[in-house]
Amino acid sequence: MNSHRRFVLRGLLLAATLGLTAHPVRAADPGITSNEITIGLFAPMSGPLTAFGLDALQAAKMWYEETNKNGGIHGRKIKVVIEDDKCNPNEAVAVVKKLITVDKVFFVHGGSCTAAAVAAQEFVTREKVPHVMLNASGDGAVIPATRYVFGAFAGTQRTVGATLAEFAVKELKAKKIAVIAHDDEYGVANTATLKAVATALGAQVVATEMISPRITDVTAPLLNVRAANADVIVSTAYPGPAVLIAQKYGEFGMMKTPLAQAIQGIPVPSAFAKNVGNDAALANFYYGSPLNDLTDGPKQQKWIAMYKQYYPDRTPSGFMAYGLPSAMAVTRALEKAGKDLTRETFIDALETVEFETGVIAAPVAFGKSRRDGSRGSLFVKFDGKTHTLMPGVYLWDGKAGM
Amino acid sequence: MYGAPPLRRLSLLLLLIAAGFALPLVLPQYFLYLGNFLMTFAVLALGLDLLLGWAGQFAFAHIAFFGIGVYATALLQARLGIPFIFGMPMAAMLAGFIGLLIGLPATRLRTVYLALATFAFAEAAQWVFNSWDKVTGGPDGLRIAAPDVFGYKLGTDPTAFPVVTIILAIMIAAAMYLTTSKFGRAMCAIRDSEHVAAASGINVRGTKAWAFAISAVYAGVAGGMYTLFQSFVNPDVFSFHQIVLLLSMIVVGGLGSLPGVLIGVGLLGLLPEIMRTSMRGLLVWQEFVYGVILILAMMFMPRGIWGFVRAWRGQ
Amino acid sequence: MSPLLLQGIAGGIVSGCVYALIALSLVIVYKSSDVINFAGGELVMIGGYLGMFALLWLGLPYLLIFPFGALVIFVVGALFDRVVLTKVAGRSVHGQSVLVAMIIATVGLSYMLKGIVRVIPYTEEVRRLPPISSGTPIFVGPVVLQHQDIAIVLAAIAIMAALWAFFSFTMAGKALRATSQNPRAAALVGIPVRTMSMTAWGLAAALAGVSGILLAPKLLITPDMGVIVILALAAAIIGGFVSLPGCVAGGILLGVVQNMIGVYVSSRAISLAPFLVIMVVLLLRPQGLFAGRAVAKKV
Repeated sequence: MNSHRRFVLRGLLLAATLGLTAHPVRAADPGITSNEITIGLFAPMSGPLTAFGLDALQAAKMWYEETNKNGGIHGRKIKVVIEDDKCNPNEAVAVVKKLITVDKVFFVHGGSCTAAAVAAQEFVTREKVPHVMLNASGDGAVIPATRYVFGAFAGTQRTVGATLAEFAVKELKAKKIAVIAHDDEYGVANTATLKAVATALGAQVVATEMISPRITDVTAPLLNVRAANADVIVSTAYPGPAVLIAQKYGEFGMMKTPLAQAIQGIPVPSAFAKNVGNDAALANFYYGSPLNDLTDGPKQQKWIAMYKQYYPDRTPSGFMAYGLPSAMAVTRALEKAGKDLTRETFIDALETVEFETGVIAAPVAFGKSRRDGSRGSLFVKFDGKTHTLMPGVYLWDGKAGM
Repeated sequence: MYGAPPLRRLSLLLLLIAAGFALPLVLPQYFLYLGNFLMTFAVLALGLDLLLGWAGQFAFAHIAFFGIGVYATALLQARLGIPFIFGMPMAAMLAGFIGLLIGLPATRLRTVYLALATFAFAEAAQWVFNSWDKVTGGPDGLRIAAPDVFGYKLGTDPTAFPVVTIILAIMIAAAMYLTTSKFGRAMCAIRDSEHVAAASGINVRGTKAWAFAISAVYAGVAGGMYTLFQSFVNPDVFSFHQIVLLLSMIVVGGLGSLPGVLIGVGLLGLLPEIMRTSMRGLLVWQEFVYGVILILAMMFMPRGIWGFVRAWRGQ
Repeated sequence: MSPLLLQGIAGGIVSGCVYALIALSLVIVYKSSDVINFAGGELVMIGGYLGMFALLWLGLPYLLIFPFGALVIFVVGALFDRVVLTKVAGRSVHGQSVLVAMIIATVGLSYMLKGIVRVIPYTEEVRRLPPISSGTPIFVGPVVLQHQDIAIVLAAIAIMAALWAFFSFTMAGKALRATSQNPRAAALVGIPVRTMSMTAWGLAAALAGVSGILLAPKLLITPDMGVIVILALAAAIIGGFVSLPGCVAGGILLGVVQNMIGVYVSSRAISLAPFLVIMVVLLLRPQGLFAGRAVAKKV
C-alpha cells in the first residue's frame, strides 16, 4: 500500500471515530429536533360530522402558530401534520398509526368523536405515545384514567349529564325529570350520571327516552314524555333531533314544562331557533354550554377575531373555540417540561397543568389519576332572540354516577 | 375450468405466505395495518362473491355474520378463555349456522325480496349489537384482548400480519376448490337458471342454503381475523355503508371471479388512502369523487375490471 | 281510545304518507328497470334543498317551488337514466350481473349527490324549510295537527290520484305500463323503450323530490337526510314492491306501527321497527301484503 492510500485510510478511520463519538447514540423521542416539535393533528375534516371537528382543529393549529410567532417553546417551533379521521373508529386508528409510525410525530393531538378517540387508545398506550384529544368527550378512554390519553376538554358526557341534573334540580326546582337521550355511547354515558345526580339530590327520573341519532319522527318519545308529567324535560340530543324535539314540544304545547338541552344539540343558538321556527316553543327553554360565555358573547370575541385573522374565508361553527383549551394545555405542558423534552416528561408535565383557559367555564385540570380536563358547564335561558346567562357554573365532582 | 385448481395457482399462495413473513421486517406499522385490513376485507369479499357472483343470490346479510365473527371470537376469549385457535373456528361455525338458518327461508324469496329481507336482517343485527350492552358492550364498544396463537401473543400489526396472511391463503385455496368442484358447478347452474338447474337434478334449495352457510363462514372467519390486529370494535363498523362498500369492491373488481374480487378489494380499499394523500386540500370532495368513480366504472366496465381484462384478452 | 294512541296514529298516518310517496318513487323505478334505486333518499334530499333554494333565494311563492323542484329533479333522473344506465345496461350479455352493475351505479349517484351537496359550505349546518303555512294547530278531538301535516296528507292523496289517472288513462302512462310488463313486446308495437325508461326515471325522481319539499319542514334538511330511504324501502316491501296502492298502504301501516312501538315498547326500539316489519312480512308473505298470489317472474 503506498503512502497516499495509507493517508486516506487513516483519514477515513479518524472521521469515522469522530463521527461516532461526536453524536452520542442516545435514543431521542421521535418528533423532536433541536428546533422543532412535530405534532400530529386529526379531526373529522369531511363527512357528516365536519362541523364538529374542522374548526376546532383549525383553532388548535391557530394557537400553535401564535405560539410560534412568540418564539416557540424553549427554542423549538411547532410543526403540524394534519389528518382526517371522518369521526370513524377505523379511520382514526389508521391515521393515528400513520402519524406515529410513518410521520413519526412527537404526540398525537386529535379526536372530535368519542368512538374514534377510544379506538386508538390501545395503540397509543402500547407505543407509549401521548394522545391529547381535541374536543371529543372521550368518556371510554379517560375514565378510568390511563397514562397516555388526555381528553374531555369540554367535559365528558358524564359531566354533561351531571350538570344538567344539578341545574334542573337546583335552579329549576325539579322533583320529577324526564330524559331524552340517544342510544349511542354519548347517551348511555350522560344518562348514567344524570340519573345518579338527580337521585342524590332528591329528584326522580320519571321517563327515559333513548332515541336513535337518525330518528326522523319524535312523536312517540314526546308523547311518552308528556304522559310522564315531569317538572323538567332534559335532552342531550344532537342538532337534528334536538330541533325535532323542540318543534314537537312546541306542537304539543308543552311549554309549561321547562326544556333544557345539552350543548351538543345547539352549537349555534340562532340557527337552532330559526330551525325550530316557532319562538313560542322556546318560552321556557334553556341550554347548557361548557364555554365561559355565549358562543358569540364578549368573552369569546377575542378568539373569533383571532380565527378570522387566520382563516378569513371561513365563518367558524359553534365548536371552533373548543379546539383551544387542548392546545393551550399542550403548550403549557411543553413549557413546563423544559428543554430536555421526552414523551414521558411531557406527560408528567401535563398531569400538573391547572389553569383557566379564558374559553371554557371551568378550569382545565389533570392529575395522577385524572384524565378528563374539564368538569363544568354554565346554562343560558334562550327564548329565540335573547340569551340570559343563568347564575353559577355547575361542576361534576368526578364521583357521582361512577 | 373444472377439476382441481392448477398447481401454478396454488404456488402463488405460497408466495403470499412468504410475503406475510417477510414484509413485517421492512414495512412501517401503518402499511402493515393497511395490509391486515385489506386482507380481512378480502376474505369478507370472497365470501360475498361466492354467494352473489357464483350462486347468484342477492343477499346482503353478510356484514351481520362479520359482526358475529368479531364479537364471538373476542368474547370467547375474554369471557370463556377460549384461545383464538379454537375460538375463531367456533365463531365461524356459529356464523355459518346462522347463515344456514337464514338461507333456508330465504330460498323461497326472489331477487328483490331476498335482497331486502337480508338487508333488513343485517340492520336488525346491527341494532342487536348496539342494544345488547351486557354482551357486546353496546355503543361503547368492546375492547379486544390480544389473542395468542401457540404461545405467540398477537394483537399488533407486525405480529398479526403473518397469521392473517396464512388465513387469507387458506380461504383463497378453499374458494378455488369450491368453485371448481361439483358444488361450484351447481351454484353456477342455479345462478344461470334455477328452472334448468332443478330440471337437471340439482337440489336447488339445498345448494342455495349451503351457499348461504359457506359465505357466512367466510364472514365469520374475517371477523376472527379482525380481532388479530384490532383492539377495539363498536357497532358502527357493521353498518349499511360497509355492505355497500363490499358490494362495490366485488362488482368493480369483477363478480364471480377470484382475481377480480382481490383486485376490487385492493383498489377500492386503497382508494381512501390514495385520496387522502393526493387530495390534501380537497378532502370534502372525497365522497363526490368516490361516487363518480363508481359510476364511471359501471359505465365502462360493467363486468368489473377482471371482466374487462378477460374481454380484452379475447376470452 | 286514549289520546296517546290517537295522536300516535295521526302522526303515523302523516309520516306514512311521506314514506309512501318515496316508496312510489322506488317502485316506479323497479317496475321500469328491475333496479333498486339506492339514490332514492338523496333525490329526496336534493328536493329539499332545491325547495329551499327556490323559496329563499329565487323568491318564488311557496306553491311554485313544487313544480320547480319537480322539473329540475325530473331532468336529473332522466339524464341519469339516459347517460349512465343505458350505457351500463348497453352490452347486456348476462342479465344478473348487469342488474348488479346498475344498482352500483345508483349507489355511485347517491354518493355523488351527497358529495356535491356537502361541498357547499351552506349545507354544513342543519337547515329548515318553512312550512307551507304556519298558524295555530288544528285540533281534532284530543289530536293536534299542524298545517304542514294536513298539507302532506292532501298532497299525497292528490299525487296518488294524479298518478293513477296518468297510468290508467293517458297514452304515456299506458305505454309506461306496457314497457314495464314486457319491453320486447312494447318495442314491437312501436313504443320507444328508451324514452319510456327515461320518463319513468324522471317521474320517479320528481316524486322523490316533491316528497323532499313536503318532508323538509317536518324533518330538517341535511345532506344525510337520505337515510329515510330505508323506511321507504320497508313501506314498498309491505306493499309488495309491485303495486302502487300497496306502497300507500305499506307506508301508512309502517308509520303507525313505528309510533305504536315507540309508545308501547320503547323509543329505543323505534329504529328496529322497519327491519322487523320487513323480515316478518317477507317470512310470512314473501310477495308482500297486497300483491296477490306470488307470480312467477317472466323469463
